[in-house]
Amino acid sequence: MQKFKSSSIALWGLVLGSMAVTPSCTDLHEQVYSEVLGNTVNPTERDLPFILAPTYASFRSLMFGWQGYFDLQEESADHIITPVRPNGWDDAGTYRRMHQHTWNTEQWQPYNTWNQAYATITKVNMVIMQIEEGTLPLPEEVGLTALAELRATRAMAYYLLLDNHGNVPIVTDYRDASLPEPKTRQQLYDFVVKELTEALPNLSTDVRSMYGRINVWAARALLAKVYLNAQVYIGTAQWEKVISETDAIIQSNEYRLDDIYSAVFSHTNQSSPEIIFAVPYDEVYGQGNQIHMKTLDPLSRLVYGMAAGPWGGNCAVPQFIDSYDTDDSRLYDSWIQGPQLNATTGAVVIDYVKNVPGIGGDGVIAPANTGYRIGKYKVKQGATSNLDNDYPMFRYADILMMKAEALLRTGRADEAAVLVSQVRARAFKEHPEKATVTGAQLLQGSNYNYGIQSVDGTVNATNGGADIQYGRFLDELGWEFTAEARRRQDIIRFGVFQTKSWFNHRPHANAQSRTLFPIPNAEISKNPNLKQNPGY
Amino acid sequence: MNRFHYLLFLLLLNIGMVFGQEQKSLTGQVVDEAGNPVQGATISLSNSPEKFSSNAAGQFTLRYTAGATMTVNSVGHVEFTQTLTEQTTLTVRLQTSSEELEQVVVVGYGTQRKGETTGSVASVKSESFNQGAVIDAGQLIQGKVAGLRITTPSGNPNATTQINLRGLNSIQGAVNPLVIIDGVPGEFNSVAPEDIESVDVMKDGSAAAIYGTRATGGVIFITTKQNRSTDGRTSIEYNNYASLQTLFRVPDLLTADDYRRLITEGKPYEDLGHSTNWIDEVTQNPFSHNHNLTLFGGNSRTNFTGSVNYRDWDGILLKSGQERLNVRADLNHDMFDGKLRTRMQVISNTISSKQGGSSDYMWRQAMIRNPTDRIFNDQGKWQESNAYMYDNPLGMIHETVNDRMFRETRLNGSLDYRPTNDLSFKALFSRVQDNDLTGTSTSFDHVNTTKNNLNGTASRWTQAGVENLMELTANYNKQIGDHRIVGLAGYSWQRNMFENFNAYNFNFPTDEYSYNKLEAGRALQNGLATMASYKQESTLIGYFARANYSYKEKYLLMASIRREGSSTFGENNKWGNFPAVSVGWDMAKEDFMANQNIINQWKWRAGYGVTGTIAASPYNSQISYNYTLTEGAYINGAWVPGFVPARNFNPDLRWERKNELNVGADFSLFNNRVTGALDYYSRQVKDLLYMFQVPVPPYLTSSMFLNAGEMSNSGFEALVNVDAVNKERFKWRTTLVFSTNKNKLRNLSNDRFGVTQEFFDAGYTGEPIQTFTHRVQVGRSIGDFFVYKTVGVDEDGKWLIESQEGDVIPIQDATVEDRQYYGNGIPDFNLGWNNSFQYGNVDMTLNWRGSFGHQILNMSRMYYENPVNPAYNALRTAYDPVYGQTLNNDLVYVSHYIENGDFLKLDNVTIGYTFNKQLIKGIKSLRIYVSGLNLVTITGYKGLDPEATSYEGEFQFAPGIENRDRYPTTRTYTAGLNVRF
Repeated sequence: MQKFKSSSIALWGLVLGSMAVTPSCTDLHEQVYSEVLGNTVNPTERDLPFILAPTYASFRSLMFGWQGYFDLQEESADHIITPVRPNGWDDAGTYRRMHQHTWNTEQWQPYNTWNQAYATITKVNMVIMQIEEGTLPLPEEVGLTALAELRATRAMAYYLLLDNHGNVPIVTDYRDASLPEPKTRQQLYDFVVKELTEALPNLSTDVRSMYGRINVWAARALLAKVYLNAQVYIGTAQWEKVISETDAIIQSNEYRLDDIYSAVFSHTNQSSPEIIFAVPYDEVYGQGNQIHMKTLDPLSRLVYGMAAGPWGGNCAVPQFIDSYDTDDSRLYDSWIQGPQLNATTGAVVIDYVKNVPGIGGDGVIAPANTGYRIGKYKVKQGATSNLDNDYPMFRYADILMMKAEALLRTGRADEAAVLVSQVRARAFKEHPEKATVTGAQLLQGSNYNYGIQSVDGTVNATNGGADIQYGRFLDELGWEFTAEARRRQDIIRFGVFQTKSWFNHRPHANAQSRTLFPIPNAEISKNPNLKQNPGY
Repeated sequence: MNRFHYLLFLLLLNIGMVFGQEQKSLTGQVVDEAGNPVQGATISLSNSPEKFSSNAAGQFTLRYTAGATMTVNSVGHVEFTQTLTEQTTLTVRLQTSSEELEQVVVVGYGTQRKGETTGSVASVKSESFNQGAVIDAGQLIQGKVAGLRITTPSGNPNATTQINLRGLNSIQGAVNPLVIIDGVPGEFNSVAPEDIESVDVMKDGSAAAIYGTRATGGVIFITTKQNRSTDGRTSIEYNNYASLQTLFRVPDLLTADDYRRLITEGKPYEDLGHSTNWIDEVTQNPFSHNHNLTLFGGNSRTNFTGSVNYRDWDGILLKSGQERLNVRADLNHDMFDGKLRTRMQVISNTISSKQGGSSDYMWRQAMIRNPTDRIFNDQGKWQESNAYMYDNPLGMIHETVNDRMFRETRLNGSLDYRPTNDLSFKALFSRVQDNDLTGTSTSFDHVNTTKNNLNGTASRWTQAGVENLMELTANYNKQIGDHRIVGLAGYSWQRNMFENFNAYNFNFPTDEYSYNKLEAGRALQNGLATMASYKQESTLIGYFARANYSYKEKYLLMASIRREGSSTFGENNKWGNFPAVSVGWDMAKEDFMANQNIINQWKWRAGYGVTGTIAASPYNSQISYNYTLTEGAYINGAWVPGFVPARNFNPDLRWERKNELNVGADFSLFNNRVTGALDYYSRQVKDLLYMFQVPVPPYLTSSMFLNAGEMSNSGFEALVNVDAVNKERFKWRTTLVFSTNKNKLRNLSNDRFGVTQEFFDAGYTGEPIQTFTHRVQVGRSIGDFFVYKTVGVDEDGKWLIESQEGDVIPIQDATVEDRQYYGNGIPDFNLGWNNSFQYGNVDMTLNWRGSFGHQILNMSRMYYENPVNPAYNALRTAYDPVYGQTLNNDLVYVSHYIENGDFLKLDNVTIGYTFNKQLIKGIKSLRIYVSGLNLVTITGYKGLDPEATSYEGEFQFAPGIENRDRYPTTRTYTAGLNVRF
């Protein structure tokens, strides 16, 4: 019996002991099923599209994403507001702060732009590292083109930061995980110009296959845009450089004005000859264009037979609508207005009226049908919550207008007027006599009746637009490019942003400081090297 | 009624038999060891239902028939039995017992006598469980264990209790206690409450450390009922109950008449011409019933326990409910003269849930819907309107199908080999496998179609899990003179596999298919259907050892170590060591205490232990990538998915550790009539696993899973049991449970990544206020509200708030810097007061439970106690003056809606009647009872239920919110029957 006992103890000891040494019983290897392990990835040229795609993907959520770049540029400017509605849209005052320039360091709209821009930058840096280190082996020619495109894409992200945040870090090395130091706006400007200029020689010149990507013309358009705002960014104007970049694009004859204004923004706008660089959207593959969801009243779903219920929020500033010539077809191509008809019964489902009583926050609630709605990105019948319409970031009309502005500002108003008239022509097909403007007209003030609007729609405390230098040209930019996520930049350049009142907005007490958004507080708390912009 | 007549008949028959025999009389006295009379001892005879009791002089008289066995019981004494033949006088000398101390408690990988434990452990036996319609094992012990906070924030029969031990001890890892069911990890609802014999809780780190990495939230052992007799007993128990529920409180909303009155007062409400009480319309009077049949059988070598549980519960909201079948078989067999014990257990659990459209969001719709609207329109369809997020709640309920079927099988077997009396080896093998299958659909009359043109939607969702466990242990137990040594060594291997799949489609030609023919929907062809699948696996391996030493049960020592590895951590950080040590000293056994008889036991305890927390999900330490459409783009004229890193990489992920010091005492006083435990604990959690905010740039995304930071918890716990009255006819036992908790976040930083963070925000108000509710700040406690502090309302009805400088400013002028800390959602202390009474055959329990020193954000008031939006219904209090003014302010998150949450609840009242044993031949016992749950709440809180606040999921850092979208809590009335054959 004793023997049996000790032998069984030995047996158990053996079992336990063997557990301790048998590899399978100490094996803690993690089997990964639903992710691709880094050490199994050996990408080749064939994988390049998959690797490049993420460097563009962030532009989708950046542009039309929730509280994204579109809201950042438009709601801080004088065209678009999100008033408090019966169904909400107070959202702790975030839209009111955008309108009144009282945003704080925790405001989401500028933070989202920061996040998406740096996400693009970091993804670009990663791919550049892969190409440079050879972990993504590419033929030399392919590699050079890819590197040029990557640098230009990164420059576009930095341009957004240059325009909105000003003094931010420049990170170019994916391997460097140290906390970066901020650079000045001048340094950022220099970096963007240098990167684009160096990328130009190796960038693709192809137009169709490069749709949605940065080719040489998109890079030149971006350069022109940076030069156009150089006065704002670095205090030194670069008008001649604007002219030379825009001329390069014009003389290439790769692009032209679309015959139909609305075709530039339609759900099939990828075929528009006018678009130089677009952020493509798709209702299935490239979701994120929800601009109709935010602007349309829930009832408008009946007009478009939508398979989604819109949220009913933002709309046009009535004073801006009043600035239009009523014969300008862009007034109707850009804004949904008046009675809206049920697609099947023809019954009126809602009547959008121009007047909006107020932004809210003081107990004023804007009724559901008040305010013209953004109609530029035409909603197709049966649309879902994601539109197919691509966002045209650079288009030929903009090239003409950038050149026109540079000419106007350098004393060549008549030459500018020719270009402006060229852009106006398709907007006055019914009234061709109104299409033409003169240099003298462009030198006039603005038609926009700046001032504070009362609940009943009357404008008080009027300070008008007559005193705005080249105000008429600014109006032209407004009519042509409204709801294209750029108005803030334009009115800063013309000084309106800092000095004028519109709707429920008065110039901020420290208005000049508002031309840059704050560095997000959350980022400063994570990276103490960052410094807050002046005035915040 | 027939059954009752039958019982009555049997009763009379029995009485007749009893009276048919010759009786003798006996006069006796009950004394204790010292010869002092014992009052209130219960004397019973084996062949009579009658019970006798000793008087103040310890004396009693009775009549008996020869051959009867007399049993004498008195609290604090060993049971005395004697067969009566010819006696006429008798002195019964009772031995003092330390039954409380003799009680066996479950500790990791074994049991221990309560007198010998050195850690903080609590045990609740089935006779102390809460009774009535309890939802799961958690509710059985609610309010009974100091430091264990158990809440039932929802009245949904598909919900479970929420449990927390000694505060919040992790911020991203798993935080729930480890639940061990008969040696195998499980969940609170893995076994039916009626099947549970006892629940034991290991609270402190020194005790729990033997479970290493899963034990930070404590360890809870559930022991199921087993046949413990060895005399060949066969018995059957049958329990059933039926219950009714009512809303705990009905929200006081404006009625149709109120609307019409307000319209005449000029308020801009719309009268749609009807009168509907939407809350009435969406609720029902739920009837639920529950049956439990347990069989015990066997002989000295083999025994069997089998049970079947069936419950069919309806919920208070229409079309909600749960049906559950739980079957358990437990077979034990001894071989080789008892040297080898084998056990096999099978538990099968099938839950089918009806949830329909009675979602939390539906409740919002019932709250806000215009009471002058109607349910159906003229065409007999659901009356709908086009407002944003405003749907007919009855349409939602009736046009939605949401069926869930959950099946779990728990198989385990063990071999326990004892070559000698001192030594045993045990091998335990277990497999737990579950399948979860859900089908949802919405019909053509659902707003998905009537408003959003989706033409019917349907989806299926399924997941499956397998958990395999092997544990090998060796136990050594030796008494040498006054020295007792217990040793344990073991190895544990556990692998979890989890996978899921779901698919969603819409645009169906008919809604007749519900979710049963997904391919009929055309959204698939349009590219708008969705599907997803996922699989993960993780392995946990542990080696452990423990030694206990006891000298005369006076000096006690325990030391343990567990070395554990998890596959979820980085290559160099998989393994961790989790040691523990504890000591005990029973002061009452010292000579200097020998001459007193007040203190029977006073055992001081102190322990220190380290436990760990594992990452909540695997893959976090991997360098891996994914292809996703969201990171895709239009490249070369085609849409391609993007190839991106799955996360910011951190291959250095490692264990989170909790170090805990526990000091306490177990005591037993006045002949063991007063017993209890006191504990103080201090916990330091280091290397907190946390989704840390990292700077962008240089990182790709703004969060990263890191070990960062430190948190502490401390608190005091007390448990006191008192046998307050112990008379023959009347007994009263009362238990007081008290606990405090203080939490502090010490820092949030990670040296390797050079990052530090001062705070993060948590909680969310929902639309349209859309802001966070809480701030978690270094140096403060989790659960602090962060809000504008309201101090008044101006003449225009606008809020006045306190600015950061302390000035009173209008809310329009407030900036984010003016927000401040205001209250905390986690109670400072919790109280439980449990009473059981026995008067003759009647028993009664009265359990009170309370939480104090915390605040609650009353979201219903924040959204509905404001007349600003006439498109939605409001509470009747909306027009009451606030600070003397009528409110005319947009909906905002302000401190006005944060209320004191203190409450005391009469939580469980049960009154039972036990029929005398001989009532019916063959029936060993019969008891009937009525019970009420969540009966009365004493509170100043104005919401529906101060306990309806969740502490889990999205509310982990935002505790103390009574959410506006919710499944309301209920009051439950139950009538039940327990019978044993």
